[in-house]
Amino acid sequence: MIQFLLKGILRDRSRSLLPIIITALGVGLTVLLSGYMKGAFGDVIDQNARFETGHVKIMTQAYAENKDQIPNDLSLLEASKWVETLHTEFAEMQWIQRIKFGGLIDVPDADGNTKAQGPASGMALQLFDTNSGENERMNIEASLVIGTIPEKSGEAIIGHDFAAKLNLKLGDEITFFGSTMNGSMTFKTFVISGTIKFGTSVMDKGALLIDISDAQLMLDMENATGEILGYLKSGVYNEEVVSKITSTFNNKYKNTDEFSPEMFTLREQNNLASMLDYGDVMSGLVIFIFVLAMSIVLWNTGLLGGLRRYQEFGIRLALGEAKSKIYGSMVLESVLIGIIGSALGTVIGLALTYYMQVVGIDISSYLESSSMIMPSIIRAKVTPELFYIGFIPGVLAMVFGTMLAGIGIYKRETATLFKELEV
Amino acid sequence: MKNTIINLKNITKRFKVGDGEFTALNNINLNFQKGEFAGFVGPSGSGKTTLLNIIGSLDSPSEGQALVMGKDVAKLSHRESADLRNYHIGFIFQVYNLLPVYTVYENVEFALLLQNHTKAERHKMVMEALDWVGLTDLADKKPDRISGGEGQRVAIARAMVKRPEILIADEPTANLDAENAHIILKMMKRLNDELNTTFLFSTHDEKVMQYMERIVHLRDGEVEKDSIIVAEKDK
Repeated sequence: MIQFLLKGILRDRSRSLLPIIITALGVGLTVLLSGYMKGAFGDVIDQNARFETGHVKIMTQAYAENKDQIPNDLSLLEASKWVETLHTEFAEMQWIQRIKFGGLIDVPDADGNTKAQGPASGMALQLFDTNSGENERMNIEASLVIGTIPEKSGEAIIGHDFAAKLNLKLGDEITFFGSTMNGSMTFKTFVISGTIKFGTSVMDKGALLIDISDAQLMLDMENATGEILGYLKSGVYNEEVVSKITSTFNNKYKNTDEFSPEMFTLREQNNLASMLDYGDVMSGLVIFIFVLAMSIVLWNTGLLGGLRRYQEFGIRLALGEAKSKIYGSMVLESVLIGIIGSALGTVIGLALTYYMQVVGIDISSYLESSSMIMPSIIRAKVTPELFYIGFIPGVLAMVFGTMLAGIGIYKRETATLFKELEV
Repeated sequence: MKNTIINLKNITKRFKVGDGEFTALNNINLNFQKGEFAGFVGPSGSGKTTLLNIIGSLDSPSEGQALVMGKDVAKLSHRESADLRNYHIGFIFQVYNLLPVYTVYENVEFALLLQNHTKAERHKMVMEALDWVGLTDLADKKPDRISGGEGQRVAIARAMVKRPEILIADEPTANLDAENAHIILKMMKRLNDELNTTFLFSTHDEKVMQYMERIVHLRDGEVEKDSIIVAEKDK
């Protein structure tokens, strides 16, 4: 009987083509939108993790409370001891130190007079420590527009847009003016070793990247660090694992002293919890709306198809097929059509998602005045769940729509259905 | 000795029309024996189709008892009614009602898919049925590629392939020209003789009436006259 139904579906295009097109469109759009949201939210989370929050971050409680002001005077002391402890106790993570700082960049001319100036948002990383993984994590080498990564003390990378604004080229000297962790004024001259474009507006417009040893010297922060960031060695954020680590660490080391360390998960920083939840809710909402819309359209298609097939149902009743069997075969047909449409839609959706993963949508013009760490190109992401996220609802919508449509036929009196044959 | 396979006792059928009721059949009492070739004749609205629907287990009487193959139609569940039609009753319609997306062969085969036959058995039975109606050459044709007369012959093959005890034909020649009507009727009479199938017609076509061995005249839902035409010839 399945073979017989398949023949009917394949030969009678009006029975199968429209539902297949509707299902394929709905599933394709569901897959694309889910992939796009996954990619967009994933990129934002990933970008934040790499540049800002880590998978977990340790700060003193006092620093954490005022972290928007980058209060280096509240930094964590004995940083190397803490890192060593963390490596021992939480070996599944990689631990690195970072210092953020702000100040003024001054560009002198040949006579030492100020040629240009601009505010800089500095970040000190373990650039000289090749085991830190910071180069790969921040994708520094690939993001360099010109030049190289600092190889010795006194070298710096600055944002490419920033360099253009200050009319800087490789080898030029710049002087950083700021304040030490103790509140004294400090200045240090750096040689530009490269310019960088992260694709994040806030970084490209004012970033100054130096090695952490230079920052510790310049800011009077010997063996101190603003933040210790932890990254799971798998590179993938796992809420369950990091929550456990965070809870263990805080239970052991956090106390009433405001300078005692406190660990925060990625979720707990920069309102990322709401973003992660929002991503999940939006993804669910998109699927729900598409399934609902598809079901309604397919219900109507099923009703129209059912009306058109009264003659066939009447013949089948006359031949001795029970109404329940006819209803069952309609549902079975809908499963077959749903599978064909959903498979087609999944392939189309995945192809479009892959295209959007490669090309993306450039939103840099909207981020010019934004201070959010966001990628300037929003890309979709092909993930394993996209293979079923549209497929299952697609089949269910088709079956659900047909079941609703079929109830009307099922409830009609046999003789009334049969009467449709009296043309 | 012939067996009674249809026994209608005091059959009344009423339909709701607005706030009132319309009596389509009123106190019908009839018996049909195995192998009869009989027709219901009467004007439109006389109750022919309603009576055939009850005999075909597509509808049930409001009052009275309709025993078909020994089964009380009113007491059958949907599935039992379907089984009765599946194994014992065939239908032929005024419009041939072939499934347009399937070939002649598949249209006839469809009737057998509802029973548990192997593919080889189905093939043998379908080809035999097509042979009865002289259409083996058209087995692979779609219904839109054959003539009206051929279409009705396919419908007969589809109804007869399961070898039902009862065949119900509602105005089977209404859409056919005189020549094709005679061909179809002769074919049905031959199948009636060879397979001993009970044929019940509804018609007001004189051509059909010529072939009937028994004619039941209906008027306003009641039996006006029940004539055995060739009974004397059988004696």
